[in-house]
Amino acid sequence: MIGRVAARLGGAVFVLWAVASITFFAVRLIPGDPAQAVLGGPGSQASPEALAMVRNEYGFDQPVLVQYLAQLGRLATGDLGRSYALNQDVGPLVLSQLGGTLLLAVLALALAWLLALALAAWSTRGGTVAARVGSGLETVAAALPHFWLATSLIVVFSIWLGVFPPVSTGGATGLVLPVLTLAIPLAGFLGQIMRESLLLALESPFVLSARSRGESERGVLWTHALRHASLPAISLSGWAFGSLISGAVVVETIFARPGLGRTLLNAVTLRDVPMVIGVVMIVAVVYILMTLLTDAATRLADPRLRLS
Amino acid sequence: MRHPARTHRLLAATTGIVALGLLVAGCTPTGSNEPIGEPQDGGTLTYASGDAEPSCLDPHVGGNFPQALVSAQYLESLVSRDDAGQIIPWLAESWTPSGDALTWDFTLRDDVTFTDGTVFDAAAVQANIAHLQDPTTLSSTGYLALGKVASVEAVSPTVVRFTLSEPDSALLESLSQPWLAMESPTALERSQDENCASPVGTGPFIVESWVKQNAITLVRNDDYTSPPADAAHDGPAYLDEVIWRFIPDSASRYAALQSGEVDVIDNAQPDTIVQAEQSDSIDHLDSPRPGAANRIELNSGQAPFDDVRVREAFIRTANVDDAVSSLFQGTATRSYSALSSVEATAVSNAAVFDYDPAAAAELLDDAGWNETDADGYRVKDGVRLSVEFPVSTNQSIPAEQSVFEQIQATAKETGFEVKLAPLDLSSWYAALASNDYDAVSAPYTKVGPDVLRILYHSDSIVPAPSGYFANLAQVSDPEIDALLTTAARTTDADERRDLYTDAQNRILEGFYLLPLYDQQNHYLLRGDVVGLRTLPTVAVPTLYDAWLNR
Repeated sequence: MIGRVAARLGGAVFVLWAVASITFFAVRLIPGDPAQAVLGGPGSQASPEALAMVRNEYGFDQPVLVQYLAQLGRLATGDLGRSYALNQDVGPLVLSQLGGTLLLAVLALALAWLLALALAAWSTRGGTVAARVGSGLETVAAALPHFWLATSLIVVFSIWLGVFPPVSTGGATGLVLPVLTLAIPLAGFLGQIMRESLLLALESPFVLSARSRGESERGVLWTHALRHASLPAISLSGWAFGSLISGAVVVETIFARPGLGRTLLNAVTLRDVPMVIGVVMIVAVVYILMTLLTDAATRLADPRLRLS
Repeated sequence: MRHPARTHRLLAATTGIVALGLLVAGCTPTGSNEPIGEPQDGGTLTYASGDAEPSCLDPHVGGNFPQALVSAQYLESLVSRDDAGQIIPWLAESWTPSGDALTWDFTLRDDVTFTDGTVFDAAAVQANIAHLQDPTTLSSTGYLALGKVASVEAVSPTVVRFTLSEPDSALLESLSQPWLAMESPTALERSQDENCASPVGTGPFIVESWVKQNAITLVRNDDYTSPPADAAHDGPAYLDEVIWRFIPDSASRYAALQSGEVDVIDNAQPDTIVQAEQSDSIDHLDSPRPGAANRIELNSGQAPFDDVRVREAFIRTANVDDAVSSLFQGTATRSYSALSSVEATAVSNAAVFDYDPAAAAELLDDAGWNETDADGYRVKDGVRLSVEFPVSTNQSIPAEQSVFEQIQATAKETGFEVKLAPLDLSSWYAALASNDYDAVSAPYTKVGPDVLRILYHSDSIVPAPSGYFANLAQVSDPEIDALLTTAARTTDADERRDLYTDAQNRILEGFYLLPLYDQQNHYLLRGDVVGLRTLPTVAVPTLYDAWLNR
């Protein structure tokens, strides 16, 4: 038990180190001058004195390797550093943006599950037409790009029908369109997987024996087959959560919603290394926690794993 | 620039025609078609900006356009500029240069206080200039504009004296810019973080709060006394409150305007402007930025554009007119000038920029580019006629990037290979700094024709330590240098204009640049927003005269 926990922790630390290193070099090695970004970016012509000061203050005049080690040293002590562009501490800034993005991702994941379950259940039981329609819907939904879906939803629900605001300022109605944008493609993915495993499960011996015990069709579906069919989808949810965070970059920009995605996009364009690393580290932590959660959920859903 | 009188006549005429149309159709006019009455007090206006959210609300720090947009609501400058391009009083009532133009005495208004209660006086001006010139402020735009200011002293509480190291004909234009606005010296003594979050000025609104990535809340300054000389009314602003939001996506921004969630948007793109013009409930305000026109600079510092014949051939082969009219859908007017059309000293010369592929082919033959390779491109001594063209995707809007693609297509017919490279801002700066370009388009906003010196004087070829230099055409012509240097020292208005005219003619006729259109700056507003105008300095909107007709 202790060995397993230690291995998990070691793995997590390794992932965080790798994420920080890859991000640092990816952002830092692209040609470009972070000092320009610090001094206001487009339209402002930085004076030589100001540039020299910024270089010195942020250590841009040091070799890249020295900058990397300094960054790593700060991270090891839990200090995410100071944003070049916003001139504020990264830690509190990222944490303040985390809630909005998590809320968006959790709601989208929940809705995607609901949609996928409903579609899978309907399409496996509704005969060949339902099966074709269900499979078609899933394929189309899974292929929809976020930016297109977001714009289309705005046109239909904000401009034509006027029911939901096109800008997500907070408040429940503002969440509807961003959540739908993230949930629909994901529901397509999850639905495809669930329907396949549901079909397999419905043909397997344990379903036959349940039926022979006199279990109703509804009971067969909900207590036996779906539990079996949901396993691959549960383990996919860890990955899905990661993809939702990356989807948040697009969705938060289009709906002008505060959050990690928009923070990350701004930070990347401004070469704001501490900010990019800060966001990516927090996302990595959430991702690791999510993987642990899906492991636990798989154990709950599959009694066979609990025995070993 | 918007001319209020003309706009009102136009509005009246439009209202009349619309009313007539509705009468014929048997309807009654509603909403924005009702006649506009007396300004009403109160209400909250929501402004949505497509520009990046500033990292600091004090435009002394850094100094870019997003800062200018919002700070114009709460900060004010010593002077302003009117629609005709004349410098007019603002916080300074009058000014007198000495005979040698090396000392300038500004007489200040004696009835102005900052919104924290600090008195606006000569010492306050002194503190502001010191703040801008202090390297730790990290000012870029303001710092450069004050390059010739050697010292500032308070002669009396209401008279402040600027001493210059050499005559500066652009001093008043520089001081009119929002990046050199006056802030409370008491507030400036706080830490930079604090001052960035809540700068204190003399303006019609006060920064109340700023929730990052969400909104800046501005409230009315009830004790306001200092509108610029060209404002439409006196006393406090009409609006109670302004919510300043950031909506980066163009389509969402327009959708928010259509649904009434926001009242004004900036950075309107050609497709939304065309849609808005068909809408009764949305008005369009077109206000080109001052300084340079948007243009393609040809790098005369290296082959192939070090040969004037190749530069001329490129300009003759670029079919800009068709590209602009189709891609900007009539929302932008072709420019034939190095300067923005709002600059009174701008020289426009369409004849220099005729589209003439046959002439281009002849020029290339003359210049020795007379072979053609298998792909149809011109070749000289085994080298293909290639033009490296890095494009900043932050600064060139999608329609502009399409214009470049059109130019690429028409230039190919004459045998130019134009290599467009879309780059993010930092990579784009890096490409320029390493001289890795033959053509480039870079916007430059500044009040007045002195922008020509920054863009075309050979001094600006020398890179700053950052590697950046503003003379991207790499014009190095002693005659142009002499004209621009003299103009920058000449305070006589007529003489100054003549010098800038000569300099511009020589620049245009040297085929160093291909003008496209003014730096586009379009605002869309809901029909019930009345009285909104842009300041004729850098064309940022002011909400001081605005009111809601609801």
